Amino acid sequence: MATMAHPRRDDDRPRRPNIPTASNRLPSVRDYEQVDRDVIATLRPTLGWFALLGIAILCLFIGIGAWTYQIYEGLGAAGYHPPTMWGVYIVSFVFWVGIGHAGTLISAILYLFRAGFRTTIYRAAEAMTVFAVMTAGLFPILHLGRPWKFFWLIPYPNWRLIWPNPKSPLVWDVFAILTYLTVSATFFYVGLIPDIAVLRDQETNPVRKRIFSVLALGWRNSDREWRHFTRAYLFLAAFATPLVLSVHSVVSFDFAMALTPGWHATIFPPYFVAGAIFSGIGMVFTIIIPIRKFFRLEHMVTINDLDAAAKLCLFTSSVVGLAYLTEFQVAWMSGNAVEQEYFWNRVFGQWWWAAWIMLICNMVLPLSLFSQKLRRNTTWLFILSIFINIGMWFERFVIVVPSLSHEFEPWQWGTYRPTWVDYSILLGSFGWFFMWFLLFIKQMPVMAISEVKEIVPPKRRVQEDHSHDLDALVIDPGATMGDD
Amino acid sequence: MQGVLAAFAEIDSTVEAVQDLRKKNFSDITVFTPTPRHEFEEVLADPPSNVRRFTLIGGLLGVTFGYWIAIWISDYWPIVVGGKPVASWVPYTIIGFEIMVLFGSLSTVFGMFALSRIPRLTMTVGYDPRFSHGDYGIWVVAGPDRAGEAAEVLRRHGALEVRNER
Repeated sequence: MATMAHPRRDDDRPRRPNIPTASNRLPSVRDYEQVDRDVIATLRPTLGWFALLGIAILCLFIGIGAWTYQIYEGLGAAGYHPPTMWGVYIVSFVFWVGIGHAGTLISAILYLFRAGFRTTIYRAAEAMTVFAVMTAGLFPILHLGRPWKFFWLIPYPNWRLIWPNPKSPLVWDVFAILTYLTVSATFFYVGLIPDIAVLRDQETNPVRKRIFSVLALGWRNSDREWRHFTRAYLFLAAFATPLVLSVHSVVSFDFAMALTPGWHATIFPPYFVAGAIFSGIGMVFTIIIPIRKFFRLEHMVTINDLDAAAKLCLFTSSVVGLAYLTEFQVAWMSGNAVEQEYFWNRVFGQWWWAAWIMLICNMVLPLSLFSQKLRRNTTWLFILSIFINIGMWFERFVIVVPSLSHEFEPWQWGTYRPTWVDYSILLGSFGWFFMWFLLFIKQMPVMAISEVKEIVPPKRRVQEDHSHDLDALVIDPGATMGDD
Repeated sequence: MQGVLAAFAEIDSTVEAVQDLRKKNFSDITVFTPTPRHEFEEVLADPPSNVRRFTLIGGLLGVTFGYWIAIWISDYWPIVVGGKPVASWVPYTIIGFEIMVLFGSLSTVFGMFALSRIPRLTMTVGYDPRFSHGDYGIWVVAGPDRAGEAAEVLRRHGALEVRNER
C-alpha cells in the first residue's frame, strides 16, 4: 500500500512518517510467540483492576437503587414535567448508541478500507460497541412507565391480537437496535474465536481451559477454517457497514419524524451518524489510552495508530461542526419564525450554557488535532476525549430538551430539571458499561492476537531481502515505540 | 483416520513441504497456521468459500420476511390515514433492511460454522496446541503403506517434529 513516508536524504534528519496508516509495522514485536505472551500477560488481574471493578459495580448499584425507587414512585420521580417528557434517559440512549458506532467503524468499515492502524485497537473498540449498545438498550426500557411490558414492541403472535405499528419510528428503533446488538455481538464473537483457541492452548488452569475449549468451538487454525472464516468476516463487515449507518439514521428519525422545532430536519440522519462516530472515537481514546499505558502495550498500540485515529476524530469533528452550522443556516433561511426563535433560544436563551458546552467541546477543542504534536501526545488525547464525551452527551441534551421545552406557542414553553434519580441512573449506566468492559479485558484478549500476527513477519528459513523497501522508508523508532 | 502430523517453525519450509506432498500425489492435506497467510491459499489453491451462498440466501429471506411482516401487520390492523395505502413500502424498507442484515449475518455465521465443521466436541486427530502459538503444521492423511513416504518428505523440509497419528 502507498505510504507518505519521505525518502531518506543524507543531509536531512529522519522525519516521522506523516500518514502511518498504510504500512503498519510493529518493529518491537519479533515473532508470533511474543504476540501471545504480551497479550496474554494482560489477563492477570491486578489490585487496580479489582478497585476499578468495585467502583463500577458500586455505581451500578446506585443506578439499580434509583430505578427501583422510580418503579415504586412512578416516572414523575425522573424529573419529567410537561412539556418536557423526554429527558436524561432519551439523551443517554442516543449517547450510548452513538458510543457504539465507532467500534463498528473501526472493526468493520476500516477493515473494508484496509486501514492498518485499526489492527491493534479494534478489539477494544468492538467490545466497547457491544457493551455500549447493551447499555443504550436499557434506556428506552427505563423510560417506560411499565418497563416489564417492553416486549410489546416486538411483533409476535399474542392473545391480545395486537401488533406494533410498523410506521412508527419507535418500532423502527426496536428493529434497528436489536439487529445492531445481535450483529455486533456476533461479529465480536466470531472475531474472538481464533484468539480464544490461543487461550485454550496456552491455559494451564483446568477450569479456565475447559471454559475456553467450549468457547473456542474446537477451532484448530486449519486452512479450511481460515478460508471460511476470512470470507465470513468480510461479509459480516460488509453487513455491519450499512447497518451502522442505518442505526443512527433510524435513531435520528425518532426526532426528525416529529414536527417539533429543531427536530424536523432532513439533515438529521447524516448529522447523527457523524456525531455517533465522533463520540465513539472519543470513547475509544478514553479506553485505549489507559489500556495502552497500564497493560504496557505501547509497542503494539503505537503512537502512529493513535495519530491516525486522531485524524479520524478531527475529520468527524469537522463534519459535526459543519452540521451544527448548517442547522443554523437552514433555520435562518427557512423564513420560519418558530424555527428561528428556537435556534436563537438554543444559543443565546434559556439553554445557552448547554449549547456552548456542546460547541466548545465538539467543534472548537478538537481543532487542536491539526497539530501533529498534540495528535501524538497521549495525555492531551485522553483529556480531549473526556471533553468530547461530555460535549457529545450535551449535544443530545441540546437536541432533546430545548426543542421540547420551547415548542410553537408561548403557553407550551417550560423548563426541565433532572432529579437525583436521573443522575443516579446515568451514573449507573456508566457503572454497567465499565463493569462489563473491565470483566472483558481480564477474561479475553484485549487485542486481536491473530490479526496482530498478520502484520508480524513470519519466520522464514530463507530470509527475503526487503532492504530496498526499507531504504525508502524513514521509520523513527520513537514514533512507533510511543514517544509520548 | 490415519496420517502423519508435522510441525514447522518457518513458513517457507511449510509451503515447500506442501508442494512436495502434492507432487507425490498426497491429496488430503491440512495446513495449520496461527494466522491466515496468502502463501497457503496459493499453494493449496482451494476453491472460493461457499459462505457467500449462505449470505445471499439469508439476506434474501430476511428482506422478504421484513417487508412481509410489516405489510401483514398493516393489513391485519388497518389504520387508514388520509386515504393513503395501508401498506406503505417506503417506511417498511427500514424493517426490510434491518431484517435482511440480521438474517444475512446470522446465516453467514451459520454457513461458516457448517463449512468449517465447527463446533467440534473433540480436537480429533492431527492437531497440536503449538499451531495456535507460533508454529505451522501439516496433517497428511496416509495409510500405513504411505505414511513413511509422507514422513520422509516432511523431515526433508525441516519439520521440527513428525509423528504418526490415528
